[in-house]
Amino acid sequence: MNPYKKNDNCLQLAAKMTKNYFLHAYEWLRKMLLFLLMFLPLQLFAVEDFYHFDTPAQQERFAALTSQLRCLVCQNQNLSESNAPLAADLRQQVYQHMQRGQSDKQIVDYLVARYGDFILYRPPINAATLGLWLGPLIFLFLSVLYLLFYIRKKQ
Amino acid sequence: MNVLKQTRFILPLIIFILIFALLWRGLNLHPNQIPSPLIGKPAPTFSLPTLFDAKKVTTNKDFFGHVTLMNVWATWCVACAEEHHALVQLAQNKTVFFYGLNYKDDVTAAKKWLKQYGNPYRIVAVDQDGAAAIDWGVYGSPETFVLDKKGMIRYKHIGPIDTDSWEKNLKPLIEKLQHEPV
Amino acid sequence: MVPELGSFAIILALCFAMIQGIAPLFARRNTSHFSKQLSTTAAISQFIFLSIAMLCLIASFLANDITVIYVREHSHALLPFLYRVGAAWGGHEGSLLLWCLILAAWTVAFILFADKKLPLISRANIIMILGFISSGFIIFLLTTSNPFQRNFPSMLVAGNDLTPILQDPGLIFHPPMLYMGYVGFAIGFAFAISALIEGKFNQEWAHACRPWIVLPWSFLSGGIVLGSWWAYRELGWGGWWFWDPVENASLLPWLSATALLHSLIVSEKRQSFKGWTLLLAIITFTLSLLGTFLVRSGVLVSVHAFASDPTRGIFLLCYLALIIGGAFLLYGIRIKNFYQAPSFTLLSRETFLLLNSVILLTAVFTIMIGTLYPIILDALNLGKISVGEPYFNTVFMPIILPLLLLMGFAPHLHWKQHAVKTLWKKFHFTILFSLLVAILAPKILGFTFYWLTFCGIFFAVWIMLATLQYTYQLWKLRKKIELQYGSMIIAHIGIAVIALGVTINKSYSTERQVKMLPGDSVALAGYQFTFVNVDETRGPNYQAITATFDVQKNSSIPQTLKAEQRVYTSHQETLSKPGILVNPFRDLYLALGNELPDGGWSVRIYYKPFVRWIWTGGFLLLIGGLLSLLNYWEKRGNNERA
Repeated sequence: MNPYKKNDNCLQLAAKMTKNYFLHAYEWLRKMLLFLLMFLPLQLFAVEDFYHFDTPAQQERFAALTSQLRCLVCQNQNLSESNAPLAADLRQQVYQHMQRGQSDKQIVDYLVARYGDFILYRPPINAATLGLWLGPLIFLFLSVLYLLFYIRKKQ
Repeated sequence: MNVLKQTRFILPLIIFILIFALLWRGLNLHPNQIPSPLIGKPAPTFSLPTLFDAKKVTTNKDFFGHVTLMNVWATWCVACAEEHHALVQLAQNKTVFFYGLNYKDDVTAAKKWLKQYGNPYRIVAVDQDGAAAIDWGVYGSPETFVLDKKGMIRYKHIGPIDTDSWEKNLKPLIEKLQHEPV
Repeated sequence: MVPELGSFAIILALCFAMIQGIAPLFARRNTSHFSKQLSTTAAISQFIFLSIAMLCLIASFLANDITVIYVREHSHALLPFLYRVGAAWGGHEGSLLLWCLILAAWTVAFILFADKKLPLISRANIIMILGFISSGFIIFLLTTSNPFQRNFPSMLVAGNDLTPILQDPGLIFHPPMLYMGYVGFAIGFAFAISALIEGKFNQEWAHACRPWIVLPWSFLSGGIVLGSWWAYRELGWGGWWFWDPVENASLLPWLSATALLHSLIVSEKRQSFKGWTLLLAIITFTLSLLGTFLVRSGVLVSVHAFASDPTRGIFLLCYLALIIGGAFLLYGIRIKNFYQAPSFTLLSRETFLLLNSVILLTAVFTIMIGTLYPIILDALNLGKISVGEPYFNTVFMPIILPLLLLMGFAPHLHWKQHAVKTLWKKFHFTILFSLLVAILAPKILGFTFYWLTFCGIFFAVWIMLATLQYTYQLWKLRKKIELQYGSMIIAHIGIAVIALGVTINKSYSTERQVKMLPGDSVALAGYQFTFVNVDETRGPNYQAITATFDVQKNSSIPQTLKAEQRVYTSHQETLSKPGILVNPFRDLYLALGNELPDGGWSVRIYYKPFVRWIWTGGFLLLIGGLLSLLNYWEKRGNNERA
């Protein structure tokens, strides 16, 4: 829409022109500012990490812990992968315990006391799981032994 | 030495028979049901508001002096609706103290639900964020705990309660616990 | 009408399978020709009728015939055409029909293409054994898992729909290729049983057997890799192997078949290892059947498992016991005839190939014990535990690494005897060069040095260089490389590529989980991910929220990355479809999470270096195996011309 009217006098025209100029200038400046802001460092943008950690080592610790714990309502997924509400709750618990300064062992013991060994993807090392942890080694050892005997038999 | 040679060839068969026996046994197990490590231990301490009176607080003390059946339920849990009618029936003979834990639910919806379908619970604790339930080792409702007169957890039933599990497991245990001294 | 046709076709197929399985029993040595004709015709008929049954099932899906229970459970009115076809084998009943069909197809392939030098009686025996196995499975199909069971619902329903995770091109290719592998090992099994029955195992036999081991092995490699690729794209967190029980079930026969492959080479070239080869052939098919059992019985908890039913488990287990128990019994009784004294020294190609078998079988034992241990403890009332990735990573790696080392040496070793000194002279440069590359590579690329990474890179480069050294040697000697050596070279390099991909991916992947609003930007691994906007889009059977991201490195041209959160119309199930930017050296993987109450979005971004190398390596295994097939074709051509 044309802001200038036919019977505007000089002064009115000048006033309107100045006003338009400043309106446009302001508009341009605003766009320029937004464009320039894109190049500013990221800290100015409020992207939060879902769980905030002080150091990358802490973040790795959280990732390692949650990937070793089982989501109990899922069909074989760990806490890091699962979208189930219980998994979200348990991740929250792990995070809170980490923030309170507890060690990995304390957090794991806390959860095992409530859910049993089933929640651990790394099976505990005790008398019952001896077969599990030593089995492969014993099998390898025995088979290599047998192999050596077989080869050396009729030399 | 000859015996060793003979057995060596039968070894694969023996190993296979062992695996077969294991899998046969495995067909009768339930890999999805997790046993509770809390059995034989005192109930975890907690302090939660009740459903019908938000200012009233319920704690472990409410378990002392009687055999309690603590049922974890929610309005969004389809399986809880299945067992609810059975619970209401069982609660009517007043021998067992039914205690409800409303798990991660909306208070208004829960009140409405109980008004509509009946309320078997003498006390209903409200655990909105699920933190208290984690102390109990709850992983999926409905779950039911049987506590003795001293407030110790004696049994955990996973899934909805049906006539079979009531008659076989829960009723005999409750009757046994009723006879124990305080 | 069509489902009844399908059901009837299965019944007819059973009749033919039973004829196929019994006819050769009535053969006497001189007249086996007639019974072989009979069982051949029966086998071909069985295949035709099973194909008809499968076509009927697919037709029912395409028509969305909800009166068929199986179709009602897995299809939907809006399900796209391609997934209707794939859905035919998306559930237990249909996939079992596919299993039987593929077994019949392999039988027909054997009838058409088996080496004519193999004696008639052996061929007749093999077809008979395959018929016996087929009969059992078709009986299982008909009695407990008939896909054509119907009931007529009181009102028109649209169907339960295929699980969203299965609605992916992977569904079309992964199960058939996997089954072509699994099921193909039945032929090797039949070969072994017939050799035990006849008491004969000579060079012709081994030569005839080999393609029937290599081909299923290639398909199984391809099938496993396809499964890994599919899971990576579908499951939303960029993982490609989970040590899930069902995945382990597919890896076990692969490991055993690799051992069998190598042992068979020795049996063919040196007439040695006969008893061992026969045992491996039986074990490989046993592991296939065990895998089939584990997936369908409900004994193990898995993302991949079909809906379980105890009756099915019992039937399958008893049937397994019959076939496998019978096989091992036969082995125990008859193997004495095949026992040979060793005629080679400690440092020889024979020893290394035996070590190959030992290590691979240790791997099989390890994975099996890890997968079955929870059942063992539960059965003994010792509580419930979980055995997952941490366990397998800890025990599997140390077992595989020596194998990778041996792999480099083995092709160069002489049969029977090799001097140690010449070995060092030949390889000292290669070994040192590999060590150097492994030490320097992370530094040059700007990554942290880890000892485990060093090991992985060293072994991968070592295998590649040693294999190339072997290739060069062959070329110099013979001026050309025969197909059979070519396929070995490609397959070994494939393993090296997989090893490299796994090492680098596991060592240097990074991720971030953040809350983002449109306009926000996040940095990961030198890339800038800018959240542009959110849009609503539609698919054929879903509505989606698509988030568009711009990805930029330094000041290069930004690339677009789109990730979706789909809601499927049928049952309002949600699925997160990640967006992936692919490049030969890295994947940038973005998964859109839930919309947060305060207006932002939960976004997970992953940097996955070298992940495509893993699948490329598997693809090389497939190519290598198929290439050796060309070799047989060529030889056949030559024989027929001669």
